[in-house]
Amino acid sequence: MKQTFTQSMAWLHTWGGLLFGWPLFAIFLTGTLAVFDQEIDQWMQPEIQRQAVPVALAAERAVAYLQREHADVEPWNIALPNERNPGLKVTAGDRRRGISTDLDPQTGEPLLVRDSAGGGFFFHFHYTLNLPRLAGIWVVGLVGLVSLVALVSGIVIHKKLFKEFFTFRPNKGQRSWLDAHNAAGVLLMPFHLMIVYTGIIIFGLIYLPAALQALYDGDIATFYEEYIEEAPHHHGPSTAPLAPLVALGPLLTQAEHRMGPLSGLSISHPGRADALVEVRRVLGNRIALTKGQNMVFDGVSGQLLAGPPELRPSVLTQRVMFGLHFAQFGGYPMRWLYFVCGLIGSAMIASGLVLFTVKRRRKYLVEGRAQGVGDRLIESLNIAVVAGLGVACIGLFWVNRLLPVELAQRAGWEVRLFFVLWLLSLLHAWCRPHVQAWREQLGAAAALCLGLPLLSLLTLAHPWAESTRLLVELAVLGCGLLLGWTAWRVGGKAEQNVARRSPRAVAEVG
Amino acid sequence: MNKLKRADAALAIGSRLLAGLLGGYVFTYALTAALAQVLPFNRVDALLIATLLSFLFYTLAIIWAFAASSTWRAWLGVPLAVPLALIGFWPQLLERLA
Repeated sequence: MKQTFTQSMAWLHTWGGLLFGWPLFAIFLTGTLAVFDQEIDQWMQPEIQRQAVPVALAAERAVAYLQREHADVEPWNIALPNERNPGLKVTAGDRRRGISTDLDPQTGEPLLVRDSAGGGFFFHFHYTLNLPRLAGIWVVGLVGLVSLVALVSGIVIHKKLFKEFFTFRPNKGQRSWLDAHNAAGVLLMPFHLMIVYTGIIIFGLIYLPAALQALYDGDIATFYEEYIEEAPHHHGPSTAPLAPLVALGPLLTQAEHRMGPLSGLSISHPGRADALVEVRRVLGNRIALTKGQNMVFDGVSGQLLAGPPELRPSVLTQRVMFGLHFAQFGGYPMRWLYFVCGLIGSAMIASGLVLFTVKRRRKYLVEGRAQGVGDRLIESLNIAVVAGLGVACIGLFWVNRLLPVELAQRAGWEVRLFFVLWLLSLLHAWCRPHVQAWREQLGAAAALCLGLPLLSLLTLAHPWAESTRLLVELAVLGCGLLLGWTAWRVGGKAEQNVARRSPRAVAEVG
Repeated sequence: MNKLKRADAALAIGSRLLAGLLGGYVFTYALTAALAQVLPFNRVDALLIATLLSFLFYTLAIIWAFAASSTWRAWLGVPLAVPLALIGFWPQLLERLA
């Protein structure tokens, strides 16, 4: 293996890029969709309508419901309606495992809302690939690390980066794929480096607890005590005497004045003399992720007890890195920027994967060899991972509207059908010649995107009453047009150009 | 002959892969611990600075494993990890010895 540095980097880029490009594409695409997770949630639960109810009133109604139905379970969690999320949701018990109920903020009565995987599915898939949580985090971390290596090795291969950036030769088969791959890679290099590095940093202490072991003997609880000023909180049930809960309105006004728009609150030991009310803000007030930076009030007197805590500069740095990844800041223009960058990034990974097979096919053409089983498998996996995942993602939207609303374990069935669709796409890719398979799957994804408004029209009484749902469908239409254009181009002019050229000419370019 | 050569190449690649991922991890672990230990800051700051930088070290360690001129040199990070780990974990070591 005596090679130059550039050659060894090229080898690393090709094989590392292929093997890890598959999961990376899935992570990238679902992450891109997760930029609009709450909007997709809203689309997938059309029973929730936006109501013009003041936040304080909604909170009071939620408390009234909890007092009536769940007086014996605590803590209480209330997700308040806000700009991105119109629903009022209460949870009795732990926020992840407790019993959740959607309420009508107008009446305070429970709403019948379909159980749906929602946009949250894309978000969870993005960092776990739907594996058990910790295993998924490790696998995604490994993929992230390898893609960081692929990015750096990619920079080394393309030392003439800027010259190549201005080179685009359309309709030239392999050349066009390479140019597209390079242009997208170079243009968005800062974005790619940022998003991959910050993504790894989020779970950095899980992957590499070296400093934690060295300085704290691995004691993460002690670390967190020093990391952020801890707000007062309760462990276990209360023994304090009964006492009425404070009126929430003034507390919420005070919290909103201090922290900006609110996302919700939790109440521990409600109805007792030691009750605590913790008010949370939406995550997107600033670049740094504000998770855990809440205000805590006395639940009887309403006195402010703590928060929001100030961050140490080093903690702020880490939180800014988290925030850059979570893309909660800057409102909708910033969301769209992340979405478009994510799509271009996904396209760069996909074009890299395609480039690999185009090169191999060309090599075989020159050598006069037939394609082996391994190459056919690589080709099929490429198609299933890229086009097939597109079909499965838009398929989830269809499944959401088509499954009966009252089906038991409905969200689980949505996810199962997502994977069934994805598997079917692999089977289809294996059975069909590759160009047809690409066209048919991209075409199917495009058709499903373009047909989505029609499906809404057929399955809902007022499909576009909510502007968010209308905008989601317009964005899906845009994606459908892009997919359709790609399906039309694949196997069109470019591929024919390659086929028409003689093997000798091919050898010269390749 | 050809088969033998291919097996050799596969072995060399596998060795570099392990050197990069595992050897690189061991090296990065020790380097991060050492950095956190020697940084003259409060320990929260030292932990965060060392951890935020550690994945940069890991990336470079993997690149090194593939760029090194010989398969043996690809493993250089592992012997280097020993003194680094001594620096990183010397308080724990002293405690053990005492």
